[in-house]
Amino acid sequence: MRLFAYYDTGHEFSEEIVMAAGFTPYKILGDVNVPNDPADRYVHNYICPFSRSCLTEGMARSDEWAGIAFCHGCDTTNNQYDIWKHHVKTDFLYWINTPAKNDATARAYHEHELRRFISHMEKHYRVDITDDKLSEAIRTSNSVKRLMQELAKLRPVKDIPNDAYHAITRKCVQMHKDDLIAALEKTLEEWKNRPAFPSDCLPVLLTGSDMTYPEGMDILEAAKLRAVRDDLSLGERYFAETISEEGDPVKALVDYHARIPMPPTKIPFEARLVYLRKCLKETNVKGIVYQILKFCEPHGLDLPYMAGELKKDGHRLIVIEREYTPTIDQQLVSRLESFREII
Amino acid sequence: MITVGIDIGSITTKIALMEGKKLLYTDVSLSGYDMEKAWQAIYKKMLERTGKKESDISFLVSTGYGRNNVSISQKKITEISCHAAGAKYFFPKVKAVIDIGGQDSKFIRIDDTGSILDFVMNDKCAAGTGRFLEVMARALHVEIDDFSTLSGKSKKPVTISSMCTVFAESEVISLIAKGENRENIIAGIHDSIASRMISMMKRTGVASPVVMTGGVSKNIGMRKAIEKKIGMTLNVPEQAQVCGAIGAAILGSG
Ligand code: SF4
Repeated sequence: MRLFAYYDTGHEFSEEIVMAAGFTPYKILGDVNVPNDPADRYVHNYICPFSRSCLTEGMARSDEWAGIAFCHGCDTTNNQYDIWKHHVKTDFLYWINTPAKNDATARAYHEHELRRFISHMEKHYRVDITDDKLSEAIRTSNSVKRLMQELAKLRPVKDIPNDAYHAITRKCVQMHKDDLIAALEKTLEEWKNRPAFPSDCLPVLLTGSDMTYPEGMDILEAAKLRAVRDDLSLGERYFAETISEEGDPVKALVDYHARIPMPPTKIPFEARLVYLRKCLKETNVKGIVYQILKFCEPHGLDLPYMAGELKKDGHRLIVIEREYTPTIDQQLVSRLESFREII
Repeated sequence: MITVGIDIGSITTKIALMEGKKLLYTDVSLSGYDMEKAWQAIYKKMLERTGKKESDISFLVSTGYGRNNVSISQKKITEISCHAAGAKYFFPKVKAVIDIGGQDSKFIRIDDTGSILDFVMNDKCAAGTGRFLEVMARALHVEIDDFSTLSGKSKKPVTISSMCTVFAESEVISLIAKGENRENIIAGIHDSIASRMISMMKRTGVASPVVMTGGVSKNIGMRKAIEKKIGMTLNVPEQAQVCGAIGAAILGSG
């Protein structure tokens, strides 16, 4: 089955629409091991390196993809749409203007945008995206989300390294869903039999910029911190909620996206705190690791308020800024070790 | 009980030897490329100078950026805990510690019981660190040790607005080309580091007494710039540069 790629800095994209059209959704995540210089010809290198990595991947691999959709995300990606139009070869490049607000008007607008995307897909690929097909895709998505919820429950109780969790969250957005379900079922059995949560590790909540490569998680592992909760798009944002299987499937998708843990691109920014506070209430973490990728604007803007509020709530919190590199930065490891010491 | 602390920083390696609460010996040397060699040399010199034998040492703690390179270390503790312990040794009532090191700067808040409440460190950029001062000294063709005296002669510090070391260096070069005098540029550099420090401090809240540790604390101009911005006097121990190693030796005694 052909891949249909999407570029999404949160979890805005309704994968179910391309599944109903007969494609495998594939989230563009760049590759930290590949230099960004192809993209650097078109984007200044003071712009988020992850976004440049995605452009590099788009330029190199677009011929493997049936098409590409963008979702309204951070300004860095929004404003790259035109660059992609000029420099990424594809027959189908589409922009879905998912709303930043979350009220009745914004949701009506979201529904309109999804229906518009569906009709463009139908026309371009000569397919019928029926309600039945959408409902089937929703059921498949829900199976993935439920399995991920089961797997995530094991994070605070079993010995699950940070990169093992990261690996399955990546699979969720890049693998064919049937193969994914089989892989997750196998992982669940394996994780259930793992040893207990290691006594020399500290459980933490991980928030901030999306961690898109396993080496980023290795920084935590090196400092003996285990992320047992998070609000990342490659993480709980993707599976915290399921989609209603009743009624109009497009409306169900809109409703789903209004309920998920919010990314920093949404208004108002307090919306993000709701889910973080819920995690902190549900799970006994010892601290919060708030990491931002260098030049990540939305998180840079959210950080002072969010960190301030969480500290006011009485949580131990450390802020680290990471480079986009597969090298484990010992300076960051050292800071996390200090954090561990003071806890 | 004799304990030793070794603090391997990105620029210098420091050592401290303590007998109980009594500080017997300290030393500083350059870390260089080979950290293993750096600590071995300073350790050997300490044994020679103090007449102590390895078997006299009950506990050795390493800290700093290169702490994992000290093979004989019995415990590795991060700089945050060690600087706090070192500052507390000299000023038992300390509530906050400023440390400007070679590659990072930190601000540590300490509670009434002496435990660390919180800490903040500079972001990944070298601006606001000892490295930043070194780069500026090179651009100005001035010895870093002269920064203190020269900034004291400044009549009107310039404003250095670049946040990045590389950009700040070119800003300084442009100021030199414009004929701005060195004293004012150096005072401006101190002000810019102080401003970064203040914004870091404000994230956790400032409390006094504040102790300044680390090699940069020897620079009176730098100290004054920070004092002016926070409106408080900084307490600087005589052994400020070795505070991390002293803290490590203290923590080694349990
Ligand atoms: S890392 Fe930040 S700036 Fe970069 S694409 Fe993601 S949200 Fe946007």
